[in-house]
Amino acid sequence: MLTLLSVSISTIVLINVKKWNWNALFVALAMMTFLSITTVNNSGSASWSFLSHSLAVDSLSAPLIILSCWLAPLCFLAQNVVKGNSGSLQNGFLALTCSIIFFLLLTFSSLNILSFFICFEATLIPTLVLITRWGANVERLQAGTYFLFYTLFGSLPLLVSIVLISQTTSTLMIPISEIVSLQGNTFFSINIWWIITIVAFLVKMPIYGFHLWLPKAHVEAPVAGSMILAAILLKLGGYGIIRMNAYFPDVTTLSAILTVICCWGALITSILCTRQTDLKALIAYSSVGHMSLVAAGTIVFSDWTISGAIMLMIAHGLVSSALFALANILYERTHTRNIFITRGFKMITVLLPFWWLISCAANLGLPPLPNLIGELYIITGIISWSIFLAPILGVATVFGAIYSLLIYQNTNTQSIVLSSMSFNEISPREHILILFHLLPLLSIIVAPNSCMVWSN
Amino acid sequence: MLKLGRCVHLLARCTNQTSSFARTLASGGTDITKPFRQIRDGLSWTIPKDLQNSDRPPGEVDVLIIGGGAMGSSIAYFLKAARKAGVSVAVVERDSGYSMSSTVLSVGSIRQQFSTPENIYMSMYSAQFIKNVQEHLQVEGSDPPDLQFNDQGYLFLATKDKEHILHENHIIQKNCGAKVELMTQNQLKKRFPWMNTDNVTLGSYGLENEGWLDPWSLLKSFKEKAIDLGAKYYNAEVTGFNVVDDDAKPIDPTQFAPNGRRLNSVMVSMINSPEVVEVKSSYVVLTAGAWSGQLGKLLGIGTGPKEENLHMPIPVEPRKRYVYFFHCPEGPGLECPLLIDPSGSYVRREGFGGNYLCGKSPNECDEPSCEDLNVNYDFFDTEIWPNLAHRIPVMEKLKVKSAWAGYYDYNCLDQNAIIGSHPAYGNFLMATGFSGHGIQQSPAVGKLVSEKILAGEFQTIDVSKFGFERCITETPVLERCVI
Repeated sequence: MLTLLSVSISTIVLINVKKWNWNALFVALAMMTFLSITTVNNSGSASWSFLSHSLAVDSLSAPLIILSCWLAPLCFLAQNVVKGNSGSLQNGFLALTCSIIFFLLLTFSSLNILSFFICFEATLIPTLVLITRWGANVERLQAGTYFLFYTLFGSLPLLVSIVLISQTTSTLMIPISEIVSLQGNTFFSINIWWIITIVAFLVKMPIYGFHLWLPKAHVEAPVAGSMILAAILLKLGGYGIIRMNAYFPDVTTLSAILTVICCWGALITSILCTRQTDLKALIAYSSVGHMSLVAAGTIVFSDWTISGAIMLMIAHGLVSSALFALANILYERTHTRNIFITRGFKMITVLLPFWWLISCAANLGLPPLPNLIGELYIITGIISWSIFLAPILGVATVFGAIYSLLIYQNTNTQSIVLSSMSFNEISPREHILILFHLLPLLSIIVAPNSCMVWSN
Repeated sequence: MLKLGRCVHLLARCTNQTSSFARTLASGGTDITKPFRQIRDGLSWTIPKDLQNSDRPPGEVDVLIIGGGAMGSSIAYFLKAARKAGVSVAVVERDSGYSMSSTVLSVGSIRQQFSTPENIYMSMYSAQFIKNVQEHLQVEGSDPPDLQFNDQGYLFLATKDKEHILHENHIIQKNCGAKVELMTQNQLKKRFPWMNTDNVTLGSYGLENEGWLDPWSLLKSFKEKAIDLGAKYYNAEVTGFNVVDDDAKPIDPTQFAPNGRRLNSVMVSMINSPEVVEVKSSYVVLTAGAWSGQLGKLLGIGTGPKEENLHMPIPVEPRKRYVYFFHCPEGPGLECPLLIDPSGSYVRREGFGGNYLCGKSPNECDEPSCEDLNVNYDFFDTEIWPNLAHRIPVMEKLKVKSAWAGYYDYNCLDQNAIIGSHPAYGNFLMATGFSGHGIQQSPAVGKLVSEKILAGEFQTIDVSKFGFERCITETPVLERCVI
């Protein structure tokens, strides 16, 4: 698999003909996607299958690896605007995006916590460059600053915690993390230790208190950056919490507080979504809401919630990326993301409302799409953990439905401004882009075990 | 943890600013709103300083308004006042001193005595807005705006042969709800004893919502409130447009349907600098007043093919009008309305010291040249003074103190407004061609254009009669009360 990774990245360097570098990269990444599906091991338990002598996948990382590989060619399909730049700038863009995906694959398949951390951090710099160099507005500088410093300062305590773990247990292998027992020492009680481990992932997910970087970064990033950010980089947080929780089996007080914070965060962001004026900011806040739910699920750490968290991560990755691609299709034509101006396109873009409808329906959690399965599992698990969170999660889900339908209504069925409606037809490239986001979503319905089984 | 550090930092900045605020108060400093505004946008410290106060337009805005006069500022205000929409607005004005703008050089009067119902409704809406301007346009932390609206009304006089026009207009105005009344010769003699009513048989007098105001205050209030709400003004000039026409196809010229052309971006060149910024915008609103026709030519309106409705230029051109300021010691006092003589001269009181403003639209054949704004005093002596002296006998003795000239954005077709989008470019809106009655319609036009952008149609008043389509089919909507 690593050979294929290097092949894909070297295609940029070797095939220097400006006309073909995007297509060649697309083909190489698509081949890698097909091979990545072999990593899924449907034996129904959390066994590790080894990719090489230092990389392995289990049933938690396999779906995420497939997701990263799947989205890589799709984000190159979406990003049409960079093609006007000079050859070396284009190659730079391709190289940066490929390096993000490369490090993501290493993160999800690494066996060592330290190498996981290094690759986790390594995805920051290319994303920062992508946002600040290829973003559209002046605000991208502030967006880059927020993104970098939030995630960086969040992960500093994680490094301390990893060093501590390696000192107390003298091993950093993930597969044996369950049988290692950590006691608090004179510096950190076990609760504090858990917090400093997790805060990096809470910032990355993000949960409500640490979420300020996300609307800025998502809105200002170019569409490829937005798609990768929304789809996969956020899931790094969920993945990290699930891995690290194996070291801390009993942190009840603090985890109770954090679960409640995450549930309230989901409610508050869902309400905030109904008042957004920028389409991409709306989708970004909806990501915060869904990920807060995933965070709550991973902190509660029961069988059902973890399964639901994995399912929701995969489903949300696909749907959020589809929504960003759809928003970009309209943005490229009208040059505005304001939902009061990009409205009523049902008459003009004939097939697009269909994709909008499926994506918004998936976002709100329509059965039988996997978003619902994930949400339902998480909510059931949390409610059985504490009944008092039921109204909060219920209202959060209702508002989730409200803003998802608001997105659909405003962009498609609102009263049209006929005079400003002249623009290019939707090309087949864009239709295929959205279709390939939604096809895996539909196929997960018939094979849910691929994204759900994880028991330790 | 991060938020705590930021809070401490912000607190430190607040205390710094409060102490400097106290210092500025003590020293009699004037800008008391700066600390409030800085606290409100407290997180602007992460943006580099030279980007915060940039005078270059951004690469992308939702609505770009060309021309920052009363119309442009009014549209900017109404777009931003619809806070729920969160539209980003940029106004490009090349003359930061407004030295040639029709807005500041106008006599600033408002009347409902039109013959087109849409004009009447627009003036009524604007009159309501102006009477409540303190509620609409007050900026937090500074004094409420004072437009010095004098409610003294218009008085149109008619001789025997033009009487029927006044009667017909009166019926239309009453139907629209304007508060006007017709006065016979005797009533005029009794009400205005200083007036000579020799050959005048009928007068139409506005009882309410008619009068004059200070147009510079109106412009300033609109502009400051728009800036306070977040609109950005740029001192620059529009020098080009970029059009996307991938799907442009020839259309039936009688069908005003969009044909695939779209205004993509506007080239804005900075003043005194060779720099040109390309601003991508979703909507472009042309409110350049007297120079709208010129700007339309930049876009190809007037030089394009007939199949794309681009063969008719925007029929707006500048026409010079003079305004004379004179002192007449025994002239009519507070009750003096804006008097319009049957010959076309008008006179109104200005202030309380016996000063008056007057003017007259010249005949078509002797229009003054528009190269500069120099005043021809002979025009007063030959055309205006005799009429004035005949109508108001005490005005035989007067002294002209000063005069100025300003441009009408004259609509050559029918001297009425052009409001709406261009058939060929769906996202290019126009609000120009007011031919002398722009100030009184500016609040209404601002509201209507903001509705067109945000809701897709005119909701308050239906002014589709004033669309650009009539310029293409050359069907004028004539106004019978033109000054």
